Amino acid sequence: MDVRSQVSMVFHLDKCIGCHTCSIACKNIWTDRKGAEYMWWNNVETKPGTGYPTKWENQDIYKGGWEKNGDTVSLKGAGKFKGLKNIFHNPHMPVLDDYYEPWTYKYQDLFTAPEGNDQPTATAVSLVTGEHMDVQSGPNWDDDMGGSIDYARQDVNLQKLSSAEQEAMFQLERMTFHYLPRICNHCLNPACVASCPSGALYKRGEDGIVLINQERCRAWRMCVTACPYKKSYYNWNTGKSEKCVLCYPRLESGQAPACFHSCVGRIRYLGVMLYDADKIEAAAAAPDDQLVNAQMDIYLDPFDPEVIKQAKLNGIADSTITAAQNSPVYKFVKVWKLALPLHPEFRTLPNLFYVPALLPTMATVADGVYNTTSKSLWNGVESNRLPMKYLASLFSAGNTGQVVDVMKRLMAVRLHRRGVTVGDLNAAEISSAMNEVNMDKETADAIFRLTALATFDERFVIPPAHREESIEMLENTADVKGNTGFGFKETPARGL
Amino acid sequence: MRTENTNVKLSNMYNMRKIKNHLASISLCFVLCAAGTNAQNGEALFKQNCGVCHKVGGGRMVGPDLMGVTTKRSEDWLLKWTKSSQALVKSGDADAKAILDEFGGVVMPDQAHLPDADIKSIFAFIASKSAPESVSASIDTAKKEVVPDASNNATPEQIETGKNIFVGSYALANGGPSCISCHNVNYSGVMPGGLLAKDLTSVYSRLGGDAGLQGILGAPPFPAMTQSYKEKPLTESEIAALVAFFNKVDKDKPNQLVNTTNPLSYGGVIGLGGILVLIYILWYSRKKVSVKKDIYNRQIKSI
Repeated sequence: MDVRSQVSMVFHLDKCIGCHTCSIACKNIWTDRKGAEYMWWNNVETKPGTGYPTKWENQDIYKGGWEKNGDTVSLKGAGKFKGLKNIFHNPHMPVLDDYYEPWTYKYQDLFTAPEGNDQPTATAVSLVTGEHMDVQSGPNWDDDMGGSIDYARQDVNLQKLSSAEQEAMFQLERMTFHYLPRICNHCLNPACVASCPSGALYKRGEDGIVLINQERCRAWRMCVTACPYKKSYYNWNTGKSEKCVLCYPRLESGQAPACFHSCVGRIRYLGVMLYDADKIEAAAAAPDDQLVNAQMDIYLDPFDPEVIKQAKLNGIADSTITAAQNSPVYKFVKVWKLALPLHPEFRTLPNLFYVPALLPTMATVADGVYNTTSKSLWNGVESNRLPMKYLASLFSAGNTGQVVDVMKRLMAVRLHRRGVTVGDLNAAEISSAMNEVNMDKETADAIFRLTALATFDERFVIPPAHREESIEMLENTADVKGNTGFGFKETPARGL
Repeated sequence: MRTENTNVKLSNMYNMRKIKNHLASISLCFVLCAAGTNAQNGEALFKQNCGVCHKVGGGRMVGPDLMGVTTKRSEDWLLKWTKSSQALVKSGDADAKAILDEFGGVVMPDQAHLPDADIKSIFAFIASKSAPESVSASIDTAKKEVVPDASNNATPEQIETGKNIFVGSYALANGGPSCISCHNVNYSGVMPGGLLAKDLTSVYSRLGGDAGLQGILGAPPFPAMTQSYKEKPLTESEIAALVAFFNKVDKDKPNQLVNTTNPLSYGGVIGLGGILVLIYILWYSRKKVSVKKDIYNRQIKSI
């Protein structure tokens, strides 16, 4: 057992209102620079939709992530032979048009235009070329299913559904969408790290944050292709690739990352998970339908004395173990089994888990008649607005049972709380729903509390950074004793 | 204090005068010496830079006999010609063009690297060698020197060796590059050579037979060749074999098929085509356009 600690995340999709505040908070702190205008380290997508960059989930186009190769996994788009073949040209890399061309407006024209018969207009100017441009698309052109023929209908996850199911999904009565905020998953088996020919990407030992060393990056852009979530971006100005840093300077000072901190719907949770690094390869190479369970098995019980002992042997601080015990992520993912990883079939073992949106139905349509009388308040999870197959394609590599299981738990909690707060439901109905998923009232109340009423400190259990210890993993501190505070940090200039 | 100061001044003045005297004697010596040594230097420089193609009295080789040339042409003209004969020809000088035509278009290599003083000392040497009575024998009437051409009697083995040296089958003793990398000859059994330098099929007659070729191969006057063989000169026997080979090539010229096509260039075009096809096949399944192109095109159409 090789116990390590990982800062993990849960996003509760039922609570996301799609306001993009997280994206703006991130943009203002990190990507409001020349060359980074098009990057959205945090973005919010509408599902069904094509996302950002467009169709990022379709690995037939982008060749990101891993594929099963016997007992192990190999990179889909990189490696010795594939890398050599594409050494001068990386054909599967997204181009700027796959993201969007960033632009601003010539606002000064509104003031300086000569007097005329027309209103002066502020025309769009590209932030890349500085030339006038026609705006073709943006990072969330599919927001709220905008242009659904072009975007929602082209959602890659719909491929798993039959055409009849797809039609049903887009019937007006069933039509629905939910939001999917995305940041870097800080994966346990990161394809970006594996693909970098310069060794510029690394996973921090102390908290598992995946970073790009700006001094070692040589602009190969293999990480851009290899990341199946397309969360590594190339900065054309500095000539280096960049990605979400999980606001590590904030984490180190005990603050939640900016996108977490600013979240209006309070959908985000952050906490430490202890995991067994020895099991990573086997979990990444598990068959598709067992991928989620295999990943769940990696995460260890932080209350288990044996785990605590091994963790201490690996140099994990007591405060980190305590944080793991209080971690809201551990509760959502391991204890309550409510959160699932996004696209586990990419086999990167992502550390960002999603509680799927429940989206129940309260009526049915038959022969054009809208029938609101149903057996109970909500129809069963199988008749939810979003087909289980669709959610399974998003969160469980096609294993529908896994998603149904989560949905039933969520429904049990909702029925239980309806019983507590409104009391209009049949007690037998509530208890059968609870019994079906083996949930007691205390658990249901705890889930409700952490979902709806959690305080800041309950949502973000950030372990002390212990930089004094983590720095020793990288260098001998005695070597630089007395030198700290001198010298310059290089500004990233293009080239070597 | 004052006396000391005056002393210092006096000694300074004395020193200045001494230095002036020295300078005067040094420069006088320089002028005298230069006049005396010009011809001497000139002889060495002539051998080093001109002797391969030119003689002063004794007939023409690759280039004309330079006997009396200093009286026939102005020094200014000669300087221009020496530095760049092509520039002089291009400037429309009739004499220059006539000389070039007379020598079959063989361009004299530019000697622009020599300082003016050196070139002038070469002229001085030529002038000193040109006896007054022989000045009337101008270069135009100079007869080609009759030298016994030993290569006429070369053995077939020697010719074969020359051929092998030319095509590079035999490595040169001092490691110089083989001729074929830059030159071509039209001779059966020799593959088409490089197009970088001149075709050598008729080089034997063009550049003055045995004597000319031996001179050129011994100390090549052409800049690219000079560089290539400066550290790796050809040996006597290699030169003899090559001269024999060139003699044979020149003589057999009428019997050779005139090969106007170069299979190498065809090979290059076909090879390039092949590589392009291979690249097309290997990268056929690449992402060719932005994934948004279809979406955008449809939206534009519906407007």
